[in-house]
Amino acid sequence: MHDDFDRQLERLLRNPLTRRRILQRGAAGALSASALAYLAACGTDEPAGGGDKASEEKAIAKGKIADSLYFANWPLYIDEKRTSLKKFQDKYGAKVKYVEEVNDNTEFFGKVRQQYAQGNSGGRDIHVVTDWMAARMIRLGYVQKFDKSSMPNANQNLIARLKSPPFDPKREFSMPWQSGLTGIIYRKDKVKREPKSVDDLFDPAYKGKVTMLTEMRDTVGIVAASMGADPEKASVDEFMKAIDKIQEGSDSGQIRGFTGNEYIKDITKGDSWVIIGWSGDAVQLQADNPDIQFVLPETKGHLWTDNMQIPVGAPQAYTAEKFIDFVYQPEIEADIAAYVNYICPVDGVKEVLVKRDKSLAENQLIFPDEAFLEDTFIFRGLKPDEERQLDDAFQRVIGA
Amino acid sequence: MPARLRRASLPYLLLLPGLGWLVLFFAIPLVYMALESLKTGTIDTGFRLTWEFSNYTNALKNYDKQFLRSFEYAGLSTILALLIGYPLAYVIATRGGRYRNALLLAVIVPFFVTYLIRTLSWETILSDSGIVVNTLRTLGIVSEDGRLLDTTVSVVAGITYNYLPFMILPLYASLERIDNRLLEAGYDLYGRRRDVFLRVTLPLSMPGVVAGTLLTFIPAAGDFINAELLGTPNQFMIGNVIQSRYLEVADYPTAAALSFLLMAFMLVIVLIWARIAGTEALLGTEGERG
Repeated sequence: MHDDFDRQLERLLRNPLTRRRILQRGAAGALSASALAYLAACGTDEPAGGGDKASEEKAIAKGKIADSLYFANWPLYIDEKRTSLKKFQDKYGAKVKYVEEVNDNTEFFGKVRQQYAQGNSGGRDIHVVTDWMAARMIRLGYVQKFDKSSMPNANQNLIARLKSPPFDPKREFSMPWQSGLTGIIYRKDKVKREPKSVDDLFDPAYKGKVTMLTEMRDTVGIVAASMGADPEKASVDEFMKAIDKIQEGSDSGQIRGFTGNEYIKDITKGDSWVIIGWSGDAVQLQADNPDIQFVLPETKGHLWTDNMQIPVGAPQAYTAEKFIDFVYQPEIEADIAAYVNYICPVDGVKEVLVKRDKSLAENQLIFPDEAFLEDTFIFRGLKPDEERQLDDAFQRVIGA
Repeated sequence: MPARLRRASLPYLLLLPGLGWLVLFFAIPLVYMALESLKTGTIDTGFRLTWEFSNYTNALKNYDKQFLRSFEYAGLSTILALLIGYPLAYVIATRGGRYRNALLLAVIVPFFVTYLIRTLSWETILSDSGIVVNTLRTLGIVSEDGRLLDTTVSVVAGITYNYLPFMILPLYASLERIDNRLLEAGYDLYGRRRDVFLRVTLPLSMPGVVAGTLLTFIPAAGDFINAELLGTPNQFMIGNVIQSRYLEVADYPTAAALSFLLMAFMLVIVLIWARIAGTEALLGTEGERG
């Protein structure tokens, strides 16, 4: 009920939507979500999974296409008509049960952990989670290895920059659904000059008009990069220094707050001027208000990906594999990309979209070229204790 | 079953649904949470029951600020709600006349809109370029670059607003019940309006005051939505910490320990308040005190 209400609320507040706006909804969803996470948490005492089980496992066996497929994704992360799902059904006869049940990585993990640990996917054939959670799923052996020979489109059309992320160098356990950039969003009519570096976020002239993201990797990564660290391989100490700097900014009132998607209304109203935000939102905000601009900081922005994975115990693993491959056809992906406005991970979509909507196809934030992506980093994989340490420190800065 | 036995057990049978509900949705989760609060581990490795009582001391040490803030904000909001709610309830109860029901409805109507939407609207009302801030700036109450949103003021105001009806309704109920003849007797004894109010009306409305303050204070102390939407990390309350520990960090033991600490503090505060205000007021038995 809460989720449904949230969606209605978000619809009410603004249109059109992207799913990042739903992400981190905090407030209402959290009430129901905490209960879920709690229920998920209690009960098991035995340690979950174990080591690098996944890598030893055999790839998904070839088989028949099933009648149905359960796809767990984030809200508003596919075109409203769900064209690609229909086309998949037309071609293969498998009806896709598309469930928008991932609202937050940690929350989703809390919900599925017990089932996944016992090799039960809860009926899910595909889920979509962000890089670091995808890494955790792989580490715990919760996801299956693809048989890449069944996935010709995916092999061929995945964009180069995403081909070998640190957590899954051969893309054997994860395939990007959408990617996005984290950088600086600002109000052209409020700032003195284009804020090209993260230092501008700490400019006293913008005191109380700066917000940052509650996603640790986004905020800490970008600030650490501005302090000379390379988030692709920085040490915990370097990240900690960035957290200290963020803490100072928060204590002094320079940083007004830490947000998820809610930053949209602040920057629209003018309550914030210079913020850390996501590219897909910027694309859409710009359409409504040309004063809202997105820029990658000189010291690089964060390139993140939400990945499709097939959980262990998925009833229709082979069909799932086929589906993942299916959306890697440019004509199919084009429907999704045209609606979602994040970075499209599939080569060749641009050429398809040029015919439909030229401005969309030429947008660097949706179809960035290689040079543009040079200015980005992918946050490195963290060991469990490192992750805990950084999460803990960062959570304390952002308030709790 | 013999008829007599059946009659004897009937009250207990009637208790069953309520009791079952309590056990299933309150007692069992409470036990689970108590055990959870004594575990150690991480989300990756799972949590193990190790009777780790230091979870409590660590939680208290790390989040003492947020605890204090919660009770400070809740206390302030309760006092404000009482100051706003009492006159309102008084007027509705004594001068409402035929508009009484309409006025009461007006108090409740905002509740037809969900909590979250109401709080979100405050965000718009208090926005930096909104009408409230602009007016206050013109009047010189807020400095030129000052703001209301994302400050302590906005959080306390939000809490006060959101729980105000919980204050007004019990106050109204106890004020409305006051026998008019007692007030008349007061005037007959040459009591001035002030004396009659202080010596008759106020003591008789104490059950409403106690119920209202408890109904406001308890949920307010555990609230996190107002601080989240109308505040910054510098205004975050203990509810925000618990929410973040559960959902963001997945540190269930600390979150559970914090929840228990919150309950314990609340219990102590309620008991102290009951002592001060008098248990008879708490239980709704009137009179006896002069």
